[in-house]
Amino acid sequence: MDTHDRYSQYDRTKLTPVRSLRPIRLLLAAATAALTLTAALTTPLNPAPQRAQAAADDGKDVLTVAVAQSVDSLSPFLATRLVSTSIHRLMYEYLTNYDPKDNHAVPGLATKWEPSADKLTWTYTIRDNSKWSDGKQATAEDAAWTFNKMMTDEGAATANGSFVANFRKVTAPSPTKLVIELKKPQATMAALDVPIVPKHVWENVGDFSKFNNDKTFPIVGNGPFVITDYAPDSFVRLKANTSFWRGAPKFDELVFRYYKDQDAAVAALRKGEVSFVAGAPALTPAQAASLKGEENIKVNDAPGRRFYALATNPGARAKNGEKFGDGHESLLDQKVRQALFMAVDRKTIIDRVFQGHAVEGEGYIPPRFSTYHWKPTDGQKLSYAPDKASQLLDQAGYKKNADGKRVGKDGKPINYRILCHATDPQDKAVGKYLQEWWGELGIGVTLNCLDNVTDPWLAGEYDLAFDGWSVNPDPDFVLSIHTCAALPATPKDTGATDNFICDKQYDELYEKQLAEYDPAKRADLVKQMESRLYDTGYMNVMAYPNAVEAYRTDQIESIMTMPQDAGNIYGQDGYWGWWSATPAADGEAASEESSSAGVIIGIVAGVVVLAGAGAFFTMRRRATAEDRE
Amino acid sequence: MTTEATPQDQAQAAKTSPRALTRQRRRHSAARFWKQYRSHRAGLFGLTALLLFALIALTAPLTIGSDVQSVTDAPGGPLESPSAEFPLGTDQFGRSLLGLVVWGSRVSLLVGLLAAVLSVAIGALIGITAGHFRGWYATVLMRITDWFLVMPTLVLAIALATVMSRSLSTIILAIGVTTWPTTARLVRAQTLAVESRPYIERAKALGGGHWHIMSRHVLPNVIPLVLAQTTLIISSAILAEATLAFLGLGDPTVVSWGGLLQDAREAGAVSSGKWWYLVPPGIAIAIVALAFTLCGRAVESVLNPRLGVAR
Amino acid sequence: MTAEATPSLVEKTDGPAEAGPSVHGPRARTRTAYLRYVAGKVGGAAVSLLAVLVTSFFLFRLIPGDPVKYMTGGRQVSAEQLAAYRREFGLDLPLWQQFTEYCGKALTGDLGTSYQFNAPVIDKITEALPNTLLLTGTAFVLYTALGVFLGTRAAWRHGRLGDRLNTGLALTLYSIPSFWLGLLLIIVFSVGIGPIPGLFPTGGMESGGEEGFAYVLDVAHHLILPVITLVAVEYGQTLLVTRSALLDEMGSDYLTTARAKGLRDDLVRRRHAVPNAMLPTVTLIFVNLGRTVAGVILVETVFSWPGLGGLFYQALSVPDLPLVQGLFFIFAAAVIVMNTLADLIYPLLDPRVGR
Repeated sequence: MDTHDRYSQYDRTKLTPVRSLRPIRLLLAAATAALTLTAALTTPLNPAPQRAQAAADDGKDVLTVAVAQSVDSLSPFLATRLVSTSIHRLMYEYLTNYDPKDNHAVPGLATKWEPSADKLTWTYTIRDNSKWSDGKQATAEDAAWTFNKMMTDEGAATANGSFVANFRKVTAPSPTKLVIELKKPQATMAALDVPIVPKHVWENVGDFSKFNNDKTFPIVGNGPFVITDYAPDSFVRLKANTSFWRGAPKFDELVFRYYKDQDAAVAALRKGEVSFVAGAPALTPAQAASLKGEENIKVNDAPGRRFYALATNPGARAKNGEKFGDGHESLLDQKVRQALFMAVDRKTIIDRVFQGHAVEGEGYIPPRFSTYHWKPTDGQKLSYAPDKASQLLDQAGYKKNADGKRVGKDGKPINYRILCHATDPQDKAVGKYLQEWWGELGIGVTLNCLDNVTDPWLAGEYDLAFDGWSVNPDPDFVLSIHTCAALPATPKDTGATDNFICDKQYDELYEKQLAEYDPAKRADLVKQMESRLYDTGYMNVMAYPNAVEAYRTDQIESIMTMPQDAGNIYGQDGYWGWWSATPAADGEAASEESSSAGVIIGIVAGVVVLAGAGAFFTMRRRATAEDRE
Repeated sequence: MTTEATPQDQAQAAKTSPRALTRQRRRHSAARFWKQYRSHRAGLFGLTALLLFALIALTAPLTIGSDVQSVTDAPGGPLESPSAEFPLGTDQFGRSLLGLVVWGSRVSLLVGLLAAVLSVAIGALIGITAGHFRGWYATVLMRITDWFLVMPTLVLAIALATVMSRSLSTIILAIGVTTWPTTARLVRAQTLAVESRPYIERAKALGGGHWHIMSRHVLPNVIPLVLAQTTLIISSAILAEATLAFLGLGDPTVVSWGGLLQDAREAGAVSSGKWWYLVPPGIAIAIVALAFTLCGRAVESVLNPRLGVAR
Repeated sequence: MTAEATPSLVEKTDGPAEAGPSVHGPRARTRTAYLRYVAGKVGGAAVSLLAVLVTSFFLFRLIPGDPVKYMTGGRQVSAEQLAAYRREFGLDLPLWQQFTEYCGKALTGDLGTSYQFNAPVIDKITEALPNTLLLTGTAFVLYTALGVFLGTRAAWRHGRLGDRLNTGLALTLYSIPSFWLGLLLIIVFSVGIGPIPGLFPTGGMESGGEEGFAYVLDVAHHLILPVITLVAVEYGQTLLVTRSALLDEMGSDYLTTARAKGLRDDLVRRRHAVPNAMLPTVTLIFVNLGRTVAGVILVETVFSWPGLGGLFYQALSVPDLPLVQGLFFIFAAAVIVMNTLADLIYPLLDPRVGR
């Protein structure tokens, strides 16, 4: 309640409150539903209710996207879920964007950016043709204010604080010039994925850690779309920003509709209720297979941006040297880690679990990012070889006992606890295979599947864990989470680290690449890091899952993937997909027609079934009543 | 409980007769019970179905073997439709669904049984002691019972399953701990009724202690009720197990009917129209739950003919 | 004692007959006695609500997982910042102090702030509550009507084929897991199988973007499958209770008399048997009303309905303590309030209770 009061000032500046009619309309709906169903008991074949009100959508091209995540917050300072950040890409321009062909940085709100000779000052030229949706000009001042807010207000640093951690000072000497001074050189300055918000709207916000940006609509932005409506756990509606500097999107409206259940979303696509289904994170093989045969549906099965790995606990520790957690001591041995990975049949995982919708894992960064993708040399590669794995374990001193179980240094049979995500079917499936493969080696496996793995993860209370990250065009972030610097300061702090890896050689390479402004040289350093990471056996990449998604070709004529040749649509590093999507010539009208026909048929069918039942019982009643007389 | 005077008469007789006579009387009453039970067709149907399922579950290691669970040796391709080789098709790993449903019956039945036993044991213990001791002890116990009674069962079970680690014992505990209050109320009422009878007075006068009275007089009279209650609770426990497993709160490495349904949903069986993955586990759950309900109702109506249910 | 010592299907799940009013109603017929009775029941309900508040607070503290660590995600956070978060959410205080604070705020309607949505819990609940009420309310009206209607018929034709079929069907549907039925309905009527086209939406509550009457129709359309699912699995209980209550009643002498007078069966049933047999059913109806709100979790999950059940499930996985507590309280409170109402209405309906 008090949030409301706190922002009442902000409320008054903008438009009307929304959906005040909701409860009444819901009540009406209940009554209608109850009536249609109960009336059916007495009246056979109710006349189908007229449905003339489709006019609201007349002539509009609406692109509806089924998503499997609900929005956590519409404030770009708080949102961390993919669905929310994807929407923020559409609402707000970032300084730069990524080229849909090869992911190199291209102009966004900034048209040009260059570092100073000492590598510590970056100067951005801000475009003069980007307007906020309330008509005001978007300027360098807005960008400077956004960054400064994140640097000074902890609440505003919640989601994207890491981007400004190395900033010393941000200024806007003129409306088209933004200057960022750094503490240390940073190669990622063309990859600042931070939504720039309008200062004149946001400076009225009091507490950034509480403000969710979802009270007044439309929400002022300068991206290709503007949010016009939002119902929590239900949908987000956006309309095209016709004055978008790159050109207006082709669809008039874009709706992200939330489905708790991916199956329901797929069924909705099949029926034309939605135009696009984003997997969570991918459609299952069965869903993809069944959609492939459908008319007017295209399954986009493209190289993904994720890696799917088995992370080992290398002995959790903090920067101050304190050790914590309870990882199995045998995993401190590189031989053991490598032996375990050699007993993982990646090909079977691709064939059986992903059913071909993935690529066998090797280096850390997926092949889709060709600049940075690395493969192990033949001599280096840990191929599937259970016999060799067994030998390696023997060598390491973990021999089998009389029962065929391998025994740890403490004399007890080895049993690894694998941390898995209860909501991820892949984790559970691969876990079952690991149980059997490692069981052959004489090693027990317990799957510890949790809804929320954060706690044991951060506490280092696991032996191995299923791990996976989406990789950005700039790999800095996924590389940084394995440096010693990312370790927590003390066991009580939370570090940025993924799984407590701290390797000197890797760290040296990391420092070098961050200060390297020459792209080719930097890529080479990144590959060296991946090679080092592979050898340590801490992060065993099993697969690069494909992005499997599907859309209706009778509603979407064309849509840009990223990378353009073969890439994903939902969750791109940019707004290319939704911005470029073109409506099919006759599609939307047709689907509108069919869905209203569906309503009528559906209601009639429901009525008929119930009327039938009603009639049946009424007749029985007559018959028996007569019997009795 | 005015209607079932017979067991009490026997109990009274047992008091004054030698042990052999007691046994004989009990045998008689069991025979009479069976004779009446036999007249309930639905009850017989339920019992037959149960025996059948029990047989299938018990012989599963012989008929199909635990290999059916193996993912690495799965014989078929993923999600094959029913065929001569796989009468119910295969799951996403290529395992035979018929084998899995049969194998899953072991876990589902075991969990249902143990959860119900736990629930009824708690309920009976609390019911008998609350009925026997009265006073503040009973008041406190009954307040706790009432308090559990208003807790939404499913919500509480979900919460408990979340609080503990994912395993079969968690599920059993979650179901057992949330479903006992009804039994406690019923058993307490019965205990009060039994203890108001004159022969209890006599037993007390003859120096029978609390333990003696509760175990020798109250318990035998409560047993039939407890039995009926157990059958009914097993039915809901099996449903509850399926529900929790379906919500992803079960142990993912154990094959159970609810777990199979969750696997089916996660594999996308619903939208791809692979009904054969979804239908058999559901039907199995429904049949077993129904069978237990029918048995429970038949037992009930034998014990309390006035109700006239299930005839 | 009879009602309590009579096991029947009714007591199976939640023991509604138990949870409901006891049959020992007020001893006196006077108005003051009734008022005293009301005061007692309301007082009892208040105690129960308090007990639920206590449970919801302490039970969920047992959930493993540090909410602050969840909130900060994988981000680098110093111990001081973590401490600051704990302070902000009052998690650094001793448990009893957190508890008293929680109770104090709860009395003013403030149930805290959701960790994952950054919004007041009460707001999240009021957002989802109408949706849940819409679904459960519609289903409730229908399954109660259906259950009572079919239950009366079954009792009247006790033992005949119609009764057997009727009771058998009710028992079977009652044994079916609701989520499974929902999934099957989706396969058959939403996805479509063979010649059956997908007639109904697969999930959600609205298509979005509809206005006015179109919106109402749209929601009604989304409502049909989840309501059918709920009705199918729920009506059986009402049916069975109505039936056995009526059977009880039909043994009574006055019905024989009525029939002997030559009254038609129909009249005997409508005028005499049914009204008297309705008492246990009324109890059950109220108990159901409270129970359905919590029982809808599964159906909401299967049909992606944006209600309380789905919210509860989302909240548990974090764990979003304030939201979980708030929802648990609401679920239990619904049962308590409805039970109390049943208690209060019961003596007004049943003249025998007062005697």
